[in-house]
Amino acid sequence: MSLTPGPVGRLIEELSRLPGIGPKTASRLTFYMLRAPEAQVIALADAIRGLRAGTVLCSTCFNIAEHDPCPVCADQERDRGLICVVEEPLDVLAIERTRRFRGVYHVLHGALSPVDGIGPDELKMRELVERVRSGGVREVLLATNPTMEGDATAMYLARQLAPTGIRVTRLAMGLPVGGDLEYADEVTLGEALEGRRDV
Amino acid sequence: MYLKHLSLTNFRNYARLERDFPERTVLVQGQNAQGKTNLLEAIYYLATTRSPIIASDRHLISWGVAAEPLPYARLVGDVERSSGAAHLEVTLVREPARPENPAGRLARHIRLNGVERRAIDLLGQLNVVLFLPQDSDLIAGAPALRRRYLDVTLCQVDPAYCRHLQRYNRVLEQRNHLLRRLRERHDDPAQLTYWDEQLARWGALISRRRQRAVSDLEAAATLIHGELTGGSERLALQYEASLALPQLEADPATPEPDQPPPALYEAALSAIARTRQRDLASGVTTVGPHRDELRFVANGVDLGLLGSRGQQRTAALALKLAEVRFMAGQTGDMPILLLDDVMSELDRARGQYLLAALAGARQVVITTTDIEVFPREFVRQTVRWQVREGTISEERS
Ligand SMILES: [Zn+2]
Repeated sequence: MSLTPGPVGRLIEELSRLPGIGPKTASRLTFYMLRAPEAQVIALADAIRGLRAGTVLCSTCFNIAEHDPCPVCADQERDRGLICVVEEPLDVLAIERTRRFRGVYHVLHGALSPVDGIGPDELKMRELVERVRSGGVREVLLATNPTMEGDATAMYLARQLAPTGIRVTRLAMGLPVGGDLEYADEVTLGEALEGRRDV
Repeated sequence: MYLKHLSLTNFRNYARLERDFPERTVLVQGQNAQGKTNLLEAIYYLATTRSPIIASDRHLISWGVAAEPLPYARLVGDVERSSGAAHLEVTLVREPARPENPAGRLARHIRLNGVERRAIDLLGQLNVVLFLPQDSDLIAGAPALRRRYLDVTLCQVDPAYCRHLQRYNRVLEQRNHLLRRLRERHDDPAQLTYWDEQLARWGALISRRRQRAVSDLEAAATLIHGELTGGSERLALQYEASLALPQLEADPATPEPDQPPPALYEAALSAIARTRQRDLASGVTTVGPHRDELRFVANGVDLGLLGSRGQQRTAALALKLAEVRFMAGQTGDMPILLLDDVMSELDRARGQYLLAALAGARQVVITTTDIEVFPREFVRQTVRWQVREGTISEERS
């Protein structure tokens, strides 16, 4: 017979499905919530529930936002001729923090990884090519992660975009290989943006 | 180098072991299933981060603690090397069962000099050459055994090789998945280009490194083999790279790190291009270091296919002794020699040759069921330990 009441076990199980959370952390969080003020726990539950209902994908750049278009795409000051292609919405935040990029984004929602069953159709790739073809774009900056999968994605996209004749660039080296953009510090990422090179 | 101290907790049948090791030859005597091999396995594990015997680390945790909430095993070694001392620590923890993993995940924590590290950082800290009774399988067994042998040997002396191997395995996995995907559903074959290039890059680096190692091993093994056979047979080691790489001698002196010389890369890339259709049809990658072969040939005869058991044993012994010289040459440190009950497999002449070869080592650990198989004068120069049910005691002579 288990000593853990059903609801407690269920929350531990759900939490430990989350990335970066092992069974120990999941248990600690669960027992913390058991003892925390009820209002705080309800606020958390509401926030989780509201997460899906309160967000949309921007129909231009596919970033996650409260409204469509997202604030970046809606901003008339941004340079629409320069599109920065990233894997995840978190990468947009990382690049925005550097304050050195004035273009717009395109979020792929992943990288090519056959092991994980992710091919071009699983990513926002066709949408990118169409967006570039529809005109007004001067340069596409490929800012996928400096991992094998990120490189595979960048190379594949560069070939897809080649017929358009538009300039395609890649983030400069200097980012830790195998790392995520999201963890790069602002200075390094800023330098990588400035030092981008043609593919 | 030598192992100064070994500490084991819940490792196999050692509930607790704290043992100083002398800088000389230790003769470990005991009946079967008392823990002789487990002791060598522990030392080998600290050197290579894998067991020489089993595929799954979970069996390394003592059965006696299996019912505890968080069963774990810990291995700690203190190593003295010419470059200084090192403190090696590996802990294996079996986490609780979960719906998606009923056996419980096995977590491995590695520390080097007290700092949390990856497995790859532990490699090279402790160098060992392990002699097993079944070593002749290396010659006679499947090609995968020989590739694994080269990988383990090279990873111990060349951290870059180990890194390249990790990259290669990742590329191979991705490419194989992509080949299967392309076969099963409509998708763009242009995705292969990137993985082909990466396969050529890391594959050329690995096959070439193995080729160079085999050439070094061959130089020593041929000599030793000649002595073992009284000069009647000449042993050759032939590495066959499926990527059809150009001659070893043609390499430029200093290629870039992590990049093969251009001629190698081009050769590998065209070998991959030639097999692309075949790979697409079969859904697996059919060229690359994972398909390479290493042959042991004596007087024109492939010993793996046509050698007698005796010939295979002799070739395996020559290879292992060559490995000792190879490692010493690569690292500048004499590796620790671990011999698991091998004397019984060797005839008198080969046994004596092996014992004479041990004289040059700094530290040797030999297990045996029967001390009588060793000459008296050899035994006199050793420290003798007795193993019984996971406990070691000193023998007074
Ligand atoms: Zn947008």
